[in-house]
Amino acid sequence: MAERRLHKVLSAVVKIKPGEEVLAVLIFFYFFLITAPFGIVKSLRDANFLEDLKAENLPYAYLSAILIAVAVSFHAKLQTRFSRRSLLMSTLVFFILTDLVFWALFSRPHWDWLALIYWMWANLFVVALTTQFWFLVNDVFNPREAKRLIGFFGSGGILGGVAGNLLPGFLAKPETSHRLLLVSAAFLGLCLVVVGLTFAWLRKNEDRYAAAPKREPKPGGKESRHVGLGDSFRSVASDSYLRLMAWIVLVTGIVSTFIDWQSKSLIQSDPVAQQNYASFFGRFNAGILVFAFLFQLVMTSRFINRFGIRTGLLIYPVIILLCSVGIGVFPLLGFAIAIKGSDKALSYSINQSSRELLYIPVLPALKYRAKVFIDMFLNRFSKAVGGVILLGLIYLIQRPPFTAMGLSPLVWVSFVSGAFVLIWILLNLRISRAYVREVKTQLAKKWERADEVVAGTMDVDAAKLVVDAIESRTESATLFALHLYELERQNKLTPEIRGLLALKPLGGSSPGTRPLFEYDASPWVSDFEESGVPAEMDKEIREILALDSYQKVIGDYAGQVIEGKTAHAETRKMELSKAIGLMNGRSAIAERLDDLLADDSSKVFQYAAESAGRFKKKVHVPLLFMKFADPRTCEDARSALERYGATIVGALSDYLEDSGESGLVREQAASLLARVGDQEAADALLDALGRGETALKNVLIDALDRVRSEVPEIAFKDEVVRDRFETEIRNLGPPRTPSDLLPVFKLLGLIYDHEDVFRAYQNLLKGTKDSVAYAIELLDHTVSQDVKDRLFPILEGLGGRGGRGTPP
Amino acid sequence: MVINKREKNNIVIFDIEGEIRRSDITDVTLHQLVKEQLEVGKKQILLNFDKVDFIDSFGVGEILASYISTHNLGGKLKLARISKKLYLIFQVTMLTKVLEIHDEEDAALQSFFKE
Repeated sequence: MAERRLHKVLSAVVKIKPGEEVLAVLIFFYFFLITAPFGIVKSLRDANFLEDLKAENLPYAYLSAILIAVAVSFHAKLQTRFSRRSLLMSTLVFFILTDLVFWALFSRPHWDWLALIYWMWANLFVVALTTQFWFLVNDVFNPREAKRLIGFFGSGGILGGVAGNLLPGFLAKPETSHRLLLVSAAFLGLCLVVVGLTFAWLRKNEDRYAAAPKREPKPGGKESRHVGLGDSFRSVASDSYLRLMAWIVLVTGIVSTFIDWQSKSLIQSDPVAQQNYASFFGRFNAGILVFAFLFQLVMTSRFINRFGIRTGLLIYPVIILLCSVGIGVFPLLGFAIAIKGSDKALSYSINQSSRELLYIPVLPALKYRAKVFIDMFLNRFSKAVGGVILLGLIYLIQRPPFTAMGLSPLVWVSFVSGAFVLIWILLNLRISRAYVREVKTQLAKKWERADEVVAGTMDVDAAKLVVDAIESRTESATLFALHLYELERQNKLTPEIRGLLALKPLGGSSPGTRPLFEYDASPWVSDFEESGVPAEMDKEIREILALDSYQKVIGDYAGQVIEGKTAHAETRKMELSKAIGLMNGRSAIAERLDDLLADDSSKVFQYAAESAGRFKKKVHVPLLFMKFADPRTCEDARSALERYGATIVGALSDYLEDSGESGLVREQAASLLARVGDQEAADALLDALGRGETALKNVLIDALDRVRSEVPEIAFKDEVVRDRFETEIRNLGPPRTPSDLLPVFKLLGLIYDHEDVFRAYQNLLKGTKDSVAYAIELLDHTVSQDVKDRLFPILEGLGGRGGRGTPP
Repeated sequence: MVINKREKNNIVIFDIEGEIRRSDITDVTLHQLVKEQLEVGKKQILLNFDKVDFIDSFGVGEILASYISTHNLGGKLKLARISKKLYLIFQVTMLTKVLEIHDEEDAALQSFFKE
């Protein structure tokens, strides 16, 4: 009941699913309770530094990020020793205690450089706690869930930051601001309780969420997924996509350092800020975060869902570029506030969300390894790099010939910052392209159409010929010889097939073995064995078949056979039907094929159809279609018509359109058109689908899918496909399984990348939460917005089984 | 190609030697020889291919023409001792269904008496 009420409340602000409410709220408060003390700590950090050491020493503070990076490395090692729960809890306890130590130190007269040590501690505080937070989010939510809920969690963080900054904003006094450290310790104490509750909830719900502590690997055990900094670096270095992400983080960090220096330099010279730095920074940061909060709550998810990752990644650097150029031209406090405000608002909202989404196509194990280096180390190290560049730049511009230009350090820094932002934009463009590529790679194609697999792995026609040859051994020596001749002409009479046909007695001269050939034709069959059908012999046979005398002799014989005047009439007709296939289609004997095609015997028809398939005469098409009605002859008729290829598209279209024909005939016509697979055939199929052939709908969609998968360059009329898609969705009802959606996906495959659409479908079929999420993610980058609007609610309704594999 | 004629019990036997091919046409063809015998009333003819190394489509045409001529006059033309390869060609072209072929000359001669 309580959960239902909670669900109702949360549904108003976030797309939440039943069962997610408690965890979502806990994670929301977890983020709130680490960002609130961070607001206090950060305001005091900036105020203390400007009061005790001034802005000109800021580059040293940025350089101290190297020490932070070392500490992060140590933190990474700790990860390999402790479970997630233990690490989170002990980290919180560490920061509570050290927070109290700093309160004690700032309570009495202190050394100026204590501000730098406090700066480093504050930064470690931020990086350790936020990284651990995102690790937990990654542990318990799959990418799709995270994408849906990230706005809600992020809002918790921003709200915490606002609250934390408003405290110094309204309560800080120049001499007693350090007392606020006691408040931040209290927030961390509450956070300790929330983290404990979160793990307790996960333990209870471990069937749904794999990050439950019970399922965690033993610390230091072989299965541990915690990694050190070296391992993490090697993982990043060996993957081009992760390398690109690392470069972006590095450049972002450098730009961020420049922005911080630009804004603080301007703030330091502002008389209002000088009166109470802690209060100024508190209010300033709170204002920024309110803006960021509103932006995050209302805009981030919608913005990314609507415009995608690429725009999400670009909007931040573009705004920073504009502000940076603004400072370079007009170095006013307003621009300082604008650039810092944009930096914080957008980095907490769109940039952080987009960056987390960039991890989606990275395999979970690799993601965990990479995050240690990229998020925990490089994110901080980049600030140090920014500090070094800043120091070098300030040193350089104070010397000729730069001094002669008369520009202030602020202007120089702004222009160099702008150059780095341009690099950042280029890197973002590259990674947005790589992102889609990586998502596709992640969803490797796991199956193909069954008929394509069969056709690709075995020669169906040759297999049929071998089977027919085996069967003909006991039927007739002539029929057997005709099969052997055909196999040999097609170079299919391999040693294996010879063995299968038992042309050679097993064991050579063993008295216990004999040729299986009932007619004891081994004397002449050995010719096949020894030399196959030499080209000269083949030529002789062709010439004999063309002889007038031959046509006369065999013509007379054929007449007797067809009239049933010979013994073993059926066998003789079978022989004749097959032999006719060797002749010229225009010969007099070949004209008798009509009679053989009309024969009642399915065995006779089998060989007659085979010969008809060779001649491809349109006059035989109706005779072949007639045989679809008989299950014994249906397949042979189909095989023969398949051999006609594109020459009978018109006739097939007529059969397909003729509502007077049986469903079976029309289905076969559709299937044969698919086999033809040219533009004309595709158009005929699509036209039939467009006419609303309800009974044939699935057959037509399958036929079109076959054309698409075999001949990707065929174009399908977008309008017709979309109309049908709309109808399918409308008639779908509540799908019970993803396989109900197969016709819908086949239709989408006609107008979008076929392989991508089916990769997505395969993952839907797999049915795990992650696979469904990846499927939707891929479709998100493949289909148009109107399709997404119709399809995604259905896909998200499918849910998915189970969790995310092994926990961290 | 060399063709020798002999008779046994009123059956004309042609012993053919060498290769029967278009490029090796002799003054008198097999078909002409058969026709000569048919014209003199000899309607039981046996072609012995024991010493034939090769027959091309022209040679098969000669056999078929001889068969037609004999058949039209109500006679019988049979073959004996053909090579395995030729038998195979006859199988594939279905000529084994029309032509009477025997492994040995004696068997072929006996078959004339049985009719």
